[in-house]
Amino acid sequence: MLVLLFILFAGMAIGCALAVVAQRNPLYSAISLIGVFISLACLYVMLAAPFIAAVQVIVYAGAIMVLVVFVIMLLNVEEEERRRQRLKFLVPAAVVLSAVLIAEVAFILVTVQESRVTPVSDGSSVGLTHSIGSELFTQYLLPFEITSILILMAIVGAMTLARRGGPLSPNARIVPGATQIPLSLVDPAVGHESTLAVEAETTEEAARLLGLNQLHEPPKRD
Amino acid sequence: MEPQLSWYLALSAVLFTIGVTGVIIKRNVIAMFMCIELMLNAVNLTFVAFSSFFHDVTGQLFVFIVMTVAAAEAAVGLGIIITIFRNRETLDVDEASILKL
Repeated sequence: MLVLLFILFAGMAIGCALAVVAQRNPLYSAISLIGVFISLACLYVMLAAPFIAAVQVIVYAGAIMVLVVFVIMLLNVEEEERRRQRLKFLVPAAVVLSAVLIAEVAFILVTVQESRVTPVSDGSSVGLTHSIGSELFTQYLLPFEITSILILMAIVGAMTLARRGGPLSPNARIVPGATQIPLSLVDPAVGHESTLAVEAETTEEAARLLGLNQLHEPPKRD
Repeated sequence: MEPQLSWYLALSAVLFTIGVTGVIIKRNVIAMFMCIELMLNAVNLTFVAFSSFFHDVTGQLFVFIVMTVAAAEAAVGLGIIITIFRNRETLDVDEASILKL
């Protein structure tokens, strides 16, 4: 029974993985990759690791793939057009290298004598949330904290990369070598909340750059 | 008969090889990114298989941390992809040959 399930999920994983590579449309690749993740989660359940299986579905098939699909749709990626490849040797190189890799693994699996190990049985606590949590917060606390710092860095990095433009907003017209004047100085009507800024030598020049007809009087301070 | 440890290792090796092949032959940067995720998952399967067969939970903690790193990688990587697309109007890695956004 377990063998049949293994064959089913392993076949599903390999088939979906091949589809990931074979598809030309990135969206179909992403859907196939979700298939790989789901079948791997099923294999984790068979290996008595329910927590990892749940995290696999939630984090990989949920969060990461939603992010990928979102980016694919945001960028409106067309299908890869078949055009003359500049690096033609890559496909045969990939085939040869993967054949070598598979041959290595097959050699190891055939020649190395297996130790007599048995999978986790029903009564064991290995793989349950309790055992993972107690190990994670005692013996492996330092890696856990380092991982949290890594995530913080990833958040800052992603925001910095994805933000459009530099410190100025893209609507600002930039004069090289001039100083930055916030728009609220030129036009008090926009208020101090506005982050829009222009670069100009004088306030009048900034007003002209922004297309304002007349300068507003600065607001009276109470 | 039950699935043996070597079966899981062989499956993991096949998945990893498919991922490597994809990274080499794909030209779309998002597709390459997904192939890298595939390779990470193949390694995760190895960790979980060893963890289960050796009755040691440490492998599953490694998987947990690998998943976290993969999530961070996804966030930063997709940010880089968006920036490249904004500046070059293409996702072809052959076009992005200058180390400058």
